[in-house]
Amino acid sequence: MQHLNQLYALSKRNIIVRYKHSLIGFFWGFFKPLLYLLIFIVIFSSQFSSTSNHVLYITSGILFWFFFSNCTSQGVQSIVQASGLLKSVYIPAIFFPLAEVMGELFNVLLALSVYFIVMHWFGMVYTLQLFWVLPILLLFAIFSFSVTLILSALNVFYRDVGILWNTIQPAIFYLTPIAYTESLIPQRFSFVIKANPIYYFIKLFRYPLYEAIAPDFYLIGKCVLITFISLSIGILLFNRLKNQFITAI
Amino acid sequence: MSQLLAYKNVFVKYRHNHAGVYSIKDLLTTFSMPFQYKTILDDVSFTLNKGESLGILGRNGSGKSTLLRTMANIVKPYKGTIECVGSIAPILALGVGLEMELTGYENIDLLLALYGQGRDKKKIADIIAFSELDDVTLKQAVKCYSSGMLARLSFSISFANDCAIYIIDEVLAVGDFGFQSKCIQKINELKTQGKSIIFVSHFPDEVERICDKAILLENGKIIQQGKAHDVCDYYRKLF
Repeated sequence: MQHLNQLYALSKRNIIVRYKHSLIGFFWGFFKPLLYLLIFIVIFSSQFSSTSNHVLYITSGILFWFFFSNCTSQGVQSIVQASGLLKSVYIPAIFFPLAEVMGELFNVLLALSVYFIVMHWFGMVYTLQLFWVLPILLLFAIFSFSVTLILSALNVFYRDVGILWNTIQPAIFYLTPIAYTESLIPQRFSFVIKANPIYYFIKLFRYPLYEAIAPDFYLIGKCVLITFISLSIGILLFNRLKNQFITAI
Repeated sequence: MSQLLAYKNVFVKYRHNHAGVYSIKDLLTTFSMPFQYKTILDDVSFTLNKGESLGILGRNGSGKSTLLRTMANIVKPYKGTIECVGSIAPILALGVGLEMELTGYENIDLLLALYGQGRDKKKIADIIAFSELDDVTLKQAVKCYSSGMLARLSFSISFANDCAIYIIDEVLAVGDFGFQSKCIQKINELKTQGKSIIFVSHFPDEVERICDKAILLENGKIIQQGKAHDVCDYYRKLF
């Protein structure tokens, strides 16, 4: 119970601090995907002439990409930034990356609710299948948390991790079929896409959101497996390193 | 008298990063092992009974803060045992844990939750009364506060904890004279309630005034322990 309170307080702090002293606050959460959407419409509109509803196609991927991107790029610094607290209050260190993910989860839920309304004009089909988004989002959040765990723990010892992560993020973004369709990638390079775990999650999100059907259970199984493996690695690594955080920060 | 705290031959080792390797560039240009072990606490043993107050003296880097962190369970000993009965109030250090972008009120809320304390109205009112900060100030972001005001806020929040042992780490140096005497008064009040104080300071006079017992640390070893008066005398003669 006490731990739940701590986690809640930290998540709330993250949400408040992120948009403090900004004029439009939470709207930045919608603005960023929107800007990217506009760019992709300009650049890729000819490629999408064969795809129906390409606005829906892009947004159903981009929202969740930014969830992942925000979680990890803020979370990677979470332990380092918490050095003052870690050195003076007994709080399990795992709460700091977890609170980042929780705060971001709150933001993406807000964005989703707006998205559900706006996408009405872009041909979204409202069916009960849309409820699939919630369990998929939970699974994706656990996966994002695992990546954040690994990055934040390593960043304590080598600050390069944070810089490196911000550098390779755009690469991962363009290697995920968000702005383009999978068919654009030549067959001989398809392994590059398939090696990217985020690809599977984005594909899973598109079943209920874009195609308005229940997701493929084989794909769900794959995503569960990816999440399970990454969470195991994340927790193992974090637990091994956490005792040295205080001296290394 | 019941024992609150018992240290038996406690050792703390840090994996010490002597070259300051935080980047690959450093790693490639220093041709030694990046990590070495450094002993911070070396065979520390002492006990603290209920209602007693302990002073900790020692130079900078003698291991005082690490000793406090082992009490709060933040740093785990490499060898030896620490027995601790009863709860420990967090370490009072200047501005630690205060979120600079948040207002005073939001910080009170945040820290009480992090310290694992309830957030009832009375407790918050007590904190505000003790800090003597007015409503306008508390609605401002903490980053606008002076260091004295920061000390008032963090000190007041930590005192709101209901614990058996209070750890006070070199805080009396900041804050104006009025607030200092108020803190001393509060410390005495806690002592009459039967609470224990662990007090860290560089000033033997303060330690003598507040504590019954004292220990003197040097390079992680206890070189003198006993009655506060005796230890303080010894400490004064060192310099």
